[in-house]
Amino acid sequence: MITIRQARVKDLAEMQTCNLANLPENYQMKYYLYHLATWPELSYVAENQQGRVVGYVLAKMNDEEQTPEVLDGHITSLSVLRSYRRLGLAERLMAQAQRAMVEVFGAKNVSLHVRVSNQAAFSLYKNNLKFDIEHTEAKYYADGEDAYAMKKPLAGLYHTEMDSLDF
Amino acid sequence: MSLTVTELPHKEQALFRSALKLYESHQYKKGLKISDQILKKFPTHGETLAVKGMFLAHVDRREEGYETIKRGLEINPKSSISWHVYGLVCRKDLKYSEAIKCYEEALKGDSENIHILREQGQLYMHVRQFSKAVEVRQKLVKLNPSFPPFWMGLAAAHHMNGRHDLALRVIGAHEQTATGDATFGRTQVSELLLYKSWLVELTGDLQQALESLKEIRPRITDITAWKEQKARLLLKLGRREAAALAYQDLIERNPESDEYTAGYLACNGLDIARAEDADSVLEVIEGLQQQFPSSNRLRFLPLTFCTGDSFAKAAESLAKFALRKGIPSLFASVRALYADEAKGAALGRLMEGLATQLRDTQRFSDSTEDEPQSALMWCNLYLVQHHDYYGDYERALSLVDETIRASADTVELYIIKAKILKHAGDIRGARDTMDFGRQKDLQDRYINTKTVKYMLRNDEVEEAEKTFVLFIRDDEPNKVHEIVVIQATWYMCERGHAYRRLGDIGRALKQFHQAIDVFTTYHHDQFDFHAYSVRKAALRTYIDILEWANTVFTHPLFGNVARAAIECYIELHDRKQAGSPVKAIPSPTDTKPLTRNGAAQHGQHHLSAGIDEAKAASVDTDPSGASFVDADDHLAPALALVERLEAAVSDQAETHILAFEVHLRMRKYFLVLKALNALKAIDANHPALVPMAVRLGKALDTDASFAAPMKAALKSQLAKSFGDASIESSVASHPESLAFALAGAKGLLSLGDADAARKLLRQAPSEAYGSTRTLAGLLEAGQLLTKSGASTEERDEFAVGAKKVLPLATCF
Repeated sequence: MITIRQARVKDLAEMQTCNLANLPENYQMKYYLYHLATWPELSYVAENQQGRVVGYVLAKMNDEEQTPEVLDGHITSLSVLRSYRRLGLAERLMAQAQRAMVEVFGAKNVSLHVRVSNQAAFSLYKNNLKFDIEHTEAKYYADGEDAYAMKKPLAGLYHTEMDSLDF
Repeated sequence: MSLTVTELPHKEQALFRSALKLYESHQYKKGLKISDQILKKFPTHGETLAVKGMFLAHVDRREEGYETIKRGLEINPKSSISWHVYGLVCRKDLKYSEAIKCYEEALKGDSENIHILREQGQLYMHVRQFSKAVEVRQKLVKLNPSFPPFWMGLAAAHHMNGRHDLALRVIGAHEQTATGDATFGRTQVSELLLYKSWLVELTGDLQQALESLKEIRPRITDITAWKEQKARLLLKLGRREAAALAYQDLIERNPESDEYTAGYLACNGLDIARAEDADSVLEVIEGLQQQFPSSNRLRFLPLTFCTGDSFAKAAESLAKFALRKGIPSLFASVRALYADEAKGAALGRLMEGLATQLRDTQRFSDSTEDEPQSALMWCNLYLVQHHDYYGDYERALSLVDETIRASADTVELYIIKAKILKHAGDIRGARDTMDFGRQKDLQDRYINTKTVKYMLRNDEVEEAEKTFVLFIRDDEPNKVHEIVVIQATWYMCERGHAYRRLGDIGRALKQFHQAIDVFTTYHHDQFDFHAYSVRKAALRTYIDILEWANTVFTHPLFGNVARAAIECYIELHDRKQAGSPVKAIPSPTDTKPLTRNGAAQHGQHHLSAGIDEAKAASVDTDPSGASFVDADDHLAPALALVERLEAAVSDQAETHILAFEVHLRMRKYFLVLKALNALKAIDANHPALVPMAVRLGKALDTDASFAAPMKAALKSQLAKSFGDASIESSVASHPESLAFALAGAKGLLSLGDADAARKLLRQAPSEAYGSTRTLAGLLEAGQLLTKSGASTEERDEFAVGAKKVLPLATCF
């Protein structure tokens, strides 16, 4: 079945393909490259037996409007091919990304946007991934559709003990 | 006598400087105005002319721009500014080697100009002249040692130049400088320390690398990377017990990682790929499974290396788990195991058995609890795919239809049914079935994507486009343009093939080139990071980006579209040679790009960063691809693509077959022979080999313009490699292979022997070819048959024969 590992640059073309097949929000390669060049720790892929990317999470830190002390993580895109659903891949990908947000950047929350009309995605975030609606952002999408801004606190979810240096 | 900038009057000097500022802030039109203002007074001021040229080039007056720059340089050939400007414009047009030459000239007059040196270093990185990059960046470090990016850039240049030791020394020297880490944030410091420790590992000093890990741990933020390196180093150093603990720690963080599991096994002296380790590997994996019961990967792994009873046991446990949960990808996950015949058969027996149990009792025989209703459906769906794998399409279809009758709303069933119909050659039925499934879930882009693909396979270009744009942003006025912007290469590729099947070579080439251009853009995308990553001190990812960029053109989809485009060019060339040139096909739909007046463009869009480059003109000036069709020379663009394939995928037979075809038409016989030999080196028994050799021999015989001594030399080499083999003997040597017959027929057709070709092709459906009669093979035979001038009767007779092989097919 499926392996989960950190995304590398060589995975980006397949992540883009996966995104295009699955989701209405699409991005150019350079945008993917900027994610990895800036936050290489945060993005993960799910790879099948043939080495094909069947799911991914593309993540970043919200560094624009916020002060560094309360950095939040942000999910730019999360997607699993329909034929690879029900394996818990989205949860597993998210868990890896979230842990990295906490460990690397000290994130307190993780946020994301979802189209109000996208019931499937909304239910995944709400029910499986335990996000809550923070507020509704009017006309967030360029085509005029509203977005739910969703958020999940990360406090207490991931503990990193200091590694033993006795080796 | 020309004036330099400093010799201009004060007012003009100030204007000149403001023009340069406007360039930096991308205000090209304003800049153009200002340069004109200076030129009004000093019409022959060389440097202003050059700067004006630069602005012209940026406002879509490229030719004029270059001319103006050159005029400026004629007046003042030693101006560093003018050469720099020239270099910038070349760089903008992706002419990197020209840009480098300009920069070299610019430096002659201003050898310590930091701007120029910096950009020069980036260009050297881009064209992979790493030792030159090292030189330039050494200079930069000397000029300004307190600027960390110069050190980072130098380290990266050494690294890519293969000198990890020197890269390490540079990073170490930078640490000793006054600025050192002080300019970097916490994560950057961590990144730099991890880069350094990676370099130590690369230089082979594993013990030192391990020691340094201890020292840096408090300053590390990327804990995963640190833990991974620690585990890897301990393992490499043979410290197995400590390494096992380290891998155990990693597995706890991510039990779905193959790398971690493999590392853990290696600590036990085990290798999952080694058959004799199987029992011990199983023991270790089962131990891990108990610790991490939710890991899907650990549950699956035993299937890959177990055989016999232990395979059956692992398969049964996985299958029951998957059926209970309703996991649609069960067959896809085990498909690779079918390469082992015994495993395929065992899986078939297992699933048949489980289906019987579920059908009879709704339970598995070893359980006392009812399974969900859907378990039988998923079990059947597995068996459907199992039959499909073995080519038993009728059985697969009857079972999938039965399953659909019981659960008519499960979209997955239609996806699989459509796939079987596709395999069976019922392309129309496949498309209809997929579309039927799509109607059941119009919100889902995945099935939309599949439907679009199947529509294109059925040559419905317009219907496919209408369906595709349902998921293109509503605000985008020109949706077809948006497809290019989002780099939907798969769509361009499938659409191109559809046009090609429809005989519309112009549009086909246009699509293929759109896809090719995306890959060129990918390759260019690395450029920004020569500056960005160095500034961020994110060198590990930067090296990753450079290595990825080196492989962009090895992507299978690039190979697909490049080969298809070459074939189109060859067809255009051949038709022209034969006196019946192809014409571009205009159509009324050209004038109306698919648009939808979307909502007003307001509200911030968080994707804007992804589409900032969408400057290409929205108006399609050549919708029918006439520029490709009407070009004077079709072989030159084909050759350019061949050369790109040769550079990227010289290990693929197809590359050399197409190189052969293009060189032969260009009468470059030595290159033709080279292609033949390259193909032979890959596969000495390739079906196309002998027919190609015969064609080269024949071409040499008939080309009177080719010098006799060279001809003799080539013929003797040809004879040495291929003797006097004929196409007939090649085909006869593999009487059971349709591939050899097809390659032979193609060779005969090229030699003008259509009768012999037709004779071969009419036999394509015959029993003698057994299982080599694939759908693709028979389709190709049908196309070649038409090309060889077969009569309607012969065509019909072929179709009847092919239908006997693939009774469900509707495509012959």
